[in-house]
Amino acid sequence: MKIKLTTVYVDDQEKALRFYTEVLGFAKKADFSNGPYRWLTVASPEEPNGTELQLALNNNPPAKAFQQAIFQQNQPGAMFFTDDIKGDYERIRARGAEFTLPPTDATGSTIAMLKDTCGNLIQLTQLARRSA
Amino acid sequence: MAERAQYTPGPANGAHIQKEADKWTLVLVRELRHSPEKVWQALTDPAHLREWAPFDADGNLGTAEASVKLTTIGAPTPLVSETKVTRAVPPQVLEYNWGSFEMRWQLEAIAGGTRLTLWHNIDRRFIAMGAAGWHICLDVLDRLLGGTPIGRMVGPDAIKFGGWQRLHAEYAQQFGVEMPKWPPKPAQNS
Repeated sequence: MKIKLTTVYVDDQEKALRFYTEVLGFAKKADFSNGPYRWLTVASPEEPNGTELQLALNNNPPAKAFQQAIFQQNQPGAMFFTDDIKGDYERIRARGAEFTLPPTDATGSTIAMLKDTCGNLIQLTQLARRSA
Repeated sequence: MAERAQYTPGPANGAHIQKEADKWTLVLVRELRHSPEKVWQALTDPAHLREWAPFDADGNLGTAEASVKLTTIGAPTPLVSETKVTRAVPPQVLEYNWGSFEMRWQLEAIAGGTRLTLWHNIDRRFIAMGAAGWHICLDVLDRLLGGTPIGRMVGPDAIKFGGWQRLHAEYAQQFGVEMPKWPPKPAQNS
Protein backbone atom coordinates (compact mmCIF):
# COMPACT_ATOMS: atom_id res chain seq x y z
CA MET A 1 0.00 0.00 0.00
CA LYS A 2 1.30 3.45 -0.92
CA ILE A 3 0.23 7.04 -0.48
CA LYS A 4 0.07 7.94 -4.12
CA LEU A 5 -2.56 10.65 -4.34
CA THR A 6 -4.07 13.43 -2.35
CA THR A 7 -7.00 15.60 -3.31
CA VAL A 8 -7.91 19.26 -3.17
CA TYR A 9 -11.37 20.43 -4.06
CA VAL A 10 -11.41 23.31 -6.50
CA ASP A 11 -14.30 25.43 -7.73
CA ASP A 12 -13.07 25.46 -11.34
CA GLN A 13 -10.79 22.71 -12.71
CA GLU A 14 -9.53 24.73 -15.68
CA LYS A 15 -8.60 27.68 -13.51
CA ALA A 16 -7.03 25.31 -11.00
CA LEU A 17 -4.95 23.61 -13.68
CA ARG A 18 -3.57 26.99 -14.77
CA PHE A 19 -2.76 27.99 -11.21
CA TYR A 20 -1.16 24.72 -10.16
CA THR A 21 0.95 24.51 -13.34
CA GLU A 22 1.70 28.08 -14.41
CA VAL A 23 1.90 29.72 -10.99
CA LEU A 24 3.01 26.91 -8.67
CA GLY A 25 5.03 25.07 -11.32
CA PHE A 26 3.59 21.57 -11.16
CA ALA A 27 3.04 19.50 -14.30
CA LYS A 28 -0.21 18.00 -15.52
CA LYS A 29 -0.16 14.25 -14.99
CA ALA A 30 -3.58 12.73 -15.76
CA ASP A 31 -6.57 14.26 -17.48
CA PHE A 32 -9.45 11.96 -18.21
CA SER A 33 -13.19 12.33 -18.43
CA ASN A 34 -16.20 10.10 -17.91
CA GLY A 35 -19.38 12.05 -18.60
CA PRO A 36 -19.32 15.09 -16.32
CA TYR A 37 -16.50 13.54 -14.30
CA ARG A 38 -12.99 14.84 -14.94
CA TRP A 39 -10.05 13.09 -13.31
CA LEU A 40 -7.32 15.72 -13.29
CA THR A 41 -4.03 15.40 -11.45
CA VAL A 42 -0.71 17.23 -11.29
CA ALA A 43 2.68 16.10 -10.06
CA SER A 44 5.91 17.83 -9.17
CA PRO A 45 8.46 18.02 -12.01
CA GLU A 46 11.04 17.13 -9.33
CA GLU A 47 9.18 13.86 -8.77
CA PRO A 48 7.15 13.09 -11.90
CA ASN A 49 6.23 9.62 -10.63
CA GLY A 50 5.71 10.77 -7.07
CA THR A 51 2.53 11.56 -5.24
CA GLU A 52 -0.13 13.13 -7.42
CA LEU A 53 -2.44 15.93 -6.44
CA GLN A 54 -5.98 15.52 -7.70
CA LEU A 55 -7.78 18.73 -8.60
CA ALA A 56 -11.33 17.60 -7.94
CA LEU A 57 -14.32 19.70 -8.92
CA ASN A 58 -16.17 20.79 -5.83
CA ASN A 59 -19.75 20.43 -6.95
CA ASN A 60 -20.65 18.81 -3.66
CA PRO A 61 -22.46 21.14 -1.21
CA PRO A 62 -21.23 19.49 2.03
CA ALA A 63 -17.66 19.44 0.72
CA LYS A 64 -18.02 23.10 -0.24
CA ALA A 65 -19.18 24.00 3.26
CA PHE A 66 -16.18 22.17 4.73
CA GLN A 67 -13.82 23.88 2.29
CA GLN A 68 -15.14 27.35 3.12
CA ALA A 69 -15.05 26.69 6.85
CA ILE A 70 -11.44 25.56 6.93
CA PHE A 71 -10.46 28.41 4.58
CA GLN A 72 -11.94 30.89 7.07
CA GLN A 73 -9.98 29.21 9.86
CA ASN A 74 -6.75 29.70 7.85
CA GLN A 75 -6.34 25.96 7.55
CA PRO A 76 -4.49 24.84 4.43
CA GLY A 77 -6.29 22.63 1.93
CA ALA A 78 -2.95 21.13 0.90
CA MET A 79 0.67 21.42 1.95
CA PHE A 80 3.76 21.23 -0.24
CA PHE A 81 7.34 20.80 0.91
CA THR A 82 10.27 22.73 -0.46
CA ASP A 83 13.99 23.07 0.16
CA ASP A 84 13.91 26.76 -0.71
CA ILE A 85 10.88 28.47 0.74
CA LYS A 86 12.23 31.99 0.25
CA GLY A 87 13.03 31.33 -3.39
CA ASP A 88 9.64 29.71 -4.00
CA TYR A 89 7.90 32.57 -2.22
CA GLU A 90 9.55 35.14 -4.49
CA ARG A 91 9.01 33.07 -7.63
CA ILE A 92 5.33 32.33 -6.94
CA ARG A 93 4.59 35.87 -5.80
CA ALA A 94 6.18 37.25 -8.96
CA ARG A 95 3.68 35.19 -10.93
CA GLY A 96 0.83 36.99 -9.22
CA ALA A 97 -0.16 34.70 -6.34
CA GLU A 98 -1.46 36.29 -3.17
CA PHE A 99 0.30 35.17 0.00
CA THR A 100 -1.59 35.45 3.28
CA LEU A 101 1.58 34.60 5.21
CA PRO A 102 5.15 35.29 4.03
CA PRO A 103 7.84 32.79 5.04
CA THR A 104 7.61 32.64 8.82
CA ASP A 105 9.42 30.52 11.37
CA ALA A 106 7.35 27.86 13.09
CA THR A 107 8.32 24.97 15.30
CA GLY A 108 10.69 22.80 13.31
CA SER A 109 9.95 24.53 10.04
CA THR A 110 9.44 27.68 8.06
CA ILE A 111 5.97 28.06 6.60
CA ALA A 112 4.19 30.32 4.14
CA MET A 113 0.58 30.42 3.04
CA LEU A 114 -1.04 31.50 -0.22
CA LYS A 115 -4.43 31.47 -1.90
CA ASP A 116 -4.87 29.04 -4.78
CA THR A 117 -7.69 31.20 -6.29
CA CYS A 118 -9.94 28.11 -6.31
CA GLY A 119 -11.16 28.16 -2.72
CA ASN A 120 -8.11 26.93 -0.81
CA LEU A 121 -5.14 28.06 1.17
CA ILE A 122 -1.93 26.28 0.29
CA GLN A 123 0.86 25.98 2.81
CA LEU A 124 4.50 25.79 1.78
CA THR A 125 6.74 24.15 4.34
CA GLN A 126 10.49 23.96 4.61
CA LEU A 127 11.64 21.71 7.38
CA ALA A 128 14.38 23.10 9.59
CA ARG A 129 17.75 21.49 8.92
CA ARG A 130 18.84 19.23 11.67
CA SER A 131 22.20 20.47 12.91
CA ALA A 132 24.95 17.90 12.52
CA MET B 1 -25.40 -12.77 -22.78
CA ALA B 2 -23.81 -14.48 -25.75
CA GLU B 3 -24.82 -11.57 -27.98
CA ARG B 4 -22.57 -9.24 -26.05
CA ALA B 5 -19.42 -11.19 -26.86
CA GLN B 6 -20.28 -11.01 -30.55
CA TYR B 7 -21.10 -7.30 -30.56
CA THR B 8 -18.81 -5.14 -32.68
CA PRO B 9 -19.77 -1.52 -33.30
CA GLY B 10 -19.95 -0.24 -36.85
CA PRO B 11 -17.66 2.53 -38.10
CA ALA B 12 -17.80 6.03 -36.67
CA ASN B 13 -20.80 7.58 -38.32
CA GLY B 14 -23.57 10.13 -37.85
CA ALA B 15 -21.72 12.55 -35.58
CA HIS B 16 -20.44 16.06 -36.07
CA ILE B 17 -19.43 19.03 -33.96
CA GLN B 18 -21.09 22.41 -33.73
CA LYS B 19 -18.56 25.04 -32.74
CA GLU B 20 -19.46 28.35 -31.14
CA ALA B 21 -16.17 29.94 -30.10
CA ASP B 22 -14.90 27.80 -27.22
CA LYS B 23 -18.14 25.90 -26.78
CA TRP B 24 -18.23 22.69 -28.75
CA THR B 25 -21.33 20.58 -29.02
CA LEU B 26 -21.38 16.98 -30.11
CA VAL B 27 -24.31 16.24 -32.40
CA LEU B 28 -25.13 12.59 -32.87
CA VAL B 29 -27.86 11.36 -35.19
CA ARG B 30 -29.13 7.81 -35.14
CA GLU B 31 -32.08 6.12 -36.81
CA LEU B 32 -33.74 3.51 -34.63
CA ARG B 33 -36.27 0.92 -35.74
CA HIS B 34 -38.57 1.75 -32.86
CA SER B 35 -41.40 4.22 -32.33
CA PRO B 36 -40.74 7.65 -30.75
CA GLU B 37 -42.93 6.59 -27.78
CA LYS B 38 -40.72 3.59 -27.13
CA VAL B 39 -37.53 5.59 -27.51
CA TRP B 40 -38.93 8.31 -25.24
CA GLN B 41 -39.54 5.77 -22.50
CA ALA B 42 -35.98 4.48 -22.83
CA LEU B 43 -34.65 8.04 -22.49
CA THR B 44 -36.68 8.92 -19.42
CA ASP B 45 -37.57 5.83 -17.37
CA PRO B 46 -34.91 4.94 -14.75
CA ALA B 47 -35.49 1.20 -15.27
CA HIS B 48 -34.72 1.62 -18.98
CA LEU B 49 -31.81 4.02 -18.48
CA ARG B 50 -30.14 1.46 -16.22
CA GLU B 51 -29.97 -0.92 -19.19
CA TRP B 52 -28.09 1.36 -21.57
CA ALA B 53 -27.24 4.90 -20.33
CA PRO B 54 -23.91 6.05 -18.87
CA PHE B 55 -25.74 7.12 -15.70
CA ASP B 56 -28.41 5.92 -13.32
CA ALA B 57 -31.34 8.23 -12.57
CA ASP B 58 -33.23 8.23 -9.28
CA GLY B 59 -36.39 9.52 -10.92
CA ASN B 60 -38.15 9.90 -14.25
CA LEU B 61 -36.64 12.47 -16.62
CA GLY B 62 -39.82 12.87 -18.65
CA THR B 63 -41.37 15.88 -16.86
CA ALA B 64 -40.23 19.47 -17.17
CA GLU B 65 -38.93 20.96 -13.90
CA ALA B 66 -38.26 17.51 -12.45
CA SER B 67 -35.19 17.33 -10.19
CA VAL B 68 -33.35 14.06 -10.62
CA LYS B 69 -30.03 12.79 -9.34
CA LEU B 70 -27.81 11.22 -12.02
CA THR B 71 -25.06 8.88 -10.88
CA THR B 72 -22.22 8.57 -13.40
CA ILE B 73 -21.36 4.89 -13.85
CA GLY B 74 -17.73 3.97 -13.35
CA ALA B 75 -16.42 7.37 -12.23
CA PRO B 76 -13.17 6.90 -10.29
CA THR B 77 -14.79 8.45 -7.23
CA PRO B 78 -18.57 8.53 -6.74
CA LEU B 79 -20.22 11.33 -8.68
CA VAL B 80 -23.87 12.25 -8.27
CA SER B 81 -25.10 15.24 -10.28
CA GLU B 82 -28.24 17.18 -9.42
CA THR B 83 -30.17 17.51 -12.64
CA LYS B 84 -33.01 19.72 -13.68
CA VAL B 85 -35.19 18.77 -16.62
CA THR B 86 -35.54 22.06 -18.48
CA ARG B 87 -37.76 20.85 -21.31
CA ALA B 88 -39.85 17.72 -21.84
CA VAL B 89 -42.24 17.43 -24.77
CA PRO B 90 -43.08 13.73 -25.09
CA PRO B 91 -42.20 12.09 -27.39
CA GLN B 92 -40.27 14.84 -29.19
CA VAL B 93 -37.82 16.90 -27.15
CA LEU B 94 -36.02 16.32 -23.86
CA GLU B 95 -33.52 18.72 -22.31
CA TYR B 96 -31.63 18.50 -19.03
CA ASN B 97 -28.16 19.08 -17.68
CA TRP B 98 -25.63 16.41 -16.80
CA GLY B 99 -23.14 18.04 -14.47
CA SER B 100 -22.09 21.23 -16.21
CA PHE B 101 -23.11 19.88 -19.63
CA GLU B 102 -26.36 20.53 -21.43
CA MET B 103 -28.07 17.62 -23.12
CA ARG B 104 -30.80 17.82 -25.71
CA TRP B 105 -32.56 14.86 -27.27
CA GLN B 106 -34.84 15.23 -30.27
CA LEU B 107 -37.04 12.43 -31.55
CA GLU B 108 -38.54 12.60 -35.04
CA ALA B 109 -40.95 9.99 -36.36
CA ILE B 110 -39.69 8.55 -39.65
CA ALA B 111 -40.91 5.62 -41.72
CA GLY B 112 -40.27 2.53 -39.64
CA GLY B 113 -38.99 4.25 -36.54
CA THR B 114 -37.35 7.29 -35.00
CA ARG B 115 -34.57 9.64 -35.95
CA LEU B 116 -32.89 10.40 -32.65
CA THR B 117 -30.58 13.39 -32.36
CA LEU B 118 -28.45 14.16 -29.33
CA TRP B 119 -26.74 17.50 -28.64
CA HIS B 120 -24.19 17.30 -25.82
CA ASN B 121 -21.71 20.12 -25.19
CA ILE B 122 -18.80 17.98 -24.07
CA ASP B 123 -15.44 19.64 -23.45
CA ARG B 124 -13.52 19.54 -26.73
CA ARG B 125 -10.68 17.44 -25.32
CA PHE B 126 -13.07 14.63 -24.52
CA ILE B 127 -15.54 15.05 -27.34
CA ALA B 128 -14.27 12.07 -29.38
CA MET B 129 -14.49 9.89 -26.27
CA GLY B 130 -18.03 11.09 -25.75
CA ALA B 131 -18.94 10.30 -29.35
CA ALA B 132 -17.51 6.78 -29.04
CA GLY B 133 -19.31 6.25 -25.74
CA TRP B 134 -22.67 7.44 -27.03
CA HIS B 135 -22.22 5.42 -30.24
CA ILE B 136 -21.98 2.24 -28.18
CA CYS B 137 -24.76 3.32 -25.79
CA LEU B 138 -27.10 3.84 -28.74
CA ASP B 139 -26.19 0.42 -30.16
CA VAL B 140 -27.02 -1.09 -26.77
CA LEU B 141 -30.26 0.93 -26.69
CA ASP B 142 -31.24 -0.27 -30.16
CA ARG B 143 -30.77 -3.91 -29.14
CA LEU B 144 -32.57 -3.38 -25.85
CA LEU B 145 -35.62 -1.97 -27.62
CA GLY B 146 -35.41 -4.75 -30.18
CA GLY B 147 -35.78 -7.33 -27.45
CA THR B 148 -32.22 -8.71 -27.66
CA PRO B 149 -30.38 -6.79 -24.92
CA ILE B 150 -26.60 -7.13 -24.78
CA GLY B 151 -26.17 -5.30 -21.46
CA ARG B 152 -25.02 -1.81 -20.63
CA MET B 153 -21.48 -0.99 -21.79
CA VAL B 154 -20.27 2.24 -20.15
CA GLY B 155 -17.38 3.64 -18.12
CA PRO B 156 -14.61 1.09 -17.61
CA ASP B 157 -16.47 -1.62 -19.54
CA ALA B 158 -16.48 0.62 -22.60
CA ILE B 159 -12.88 1.76 -22.28
CA LYS B 160 -11.56 -1.81 -22.03
CA PHE B 161 -13.55 -2.71 -25.10
CA GLY B 162 -11.58 -2.72 -28.35
CA GLY B 163 -14.59 -1.41 -30.25
CA TRP B 164 -14.65 1.71 -28.10
CA GLN B 165 -10.96 2.34 -28.63
CA ARG B 166 -11.35 2.02 -32.38
CA LEU B 167 -14.36 4.36 -32.40
CA HIS B 168 -12.51 6.86 -30.22
CA ALA B 169 -9.66 6.97 -32.74
CA GLU B 170 -12.06 7.23 -35.68
CA TYR B 171 -14.09 10.05 -34.17
CA ALA B 172 -10.93 11.88 -33.09
CA GLN B 173 -9.76 11.72 -36.69
CA GLN B 174 -13.15 12.85 -38.07
CA PHE B 175 -13.28 15.78 -35.65
CA GLY B 176 -9.59 16.65 -36.03
CA VAL B 177 -8.88 16.44 -32.30
CA GLU B 178 -6.06 14.78 -30.40
CA MET B 179 -6.77 11.78 -28.22
CA PRO B 180 -5.97 12.19 -24.52
CA LYS B 181 -2.94 10.12 -23.51
CA TRP B 182 -5.07 8.23 -21.07
CA PRO B 183 -5.72 5.62 -19.92
CA PRO B 184 -2.08 4.49 -19.93
CA LYS B 185 -1.31 1.09 -21.40
CA PRO B 186 -1.90 -1.55 -18.75
CA ALA B 187 1.21 -2.78 -16.99
CA GLN B 188 2.29 -6.32 -17.81
CA ASN B 189 1.85 -9.16 -15.35
CA SER B 190 -0.84 -7.27 -13.52
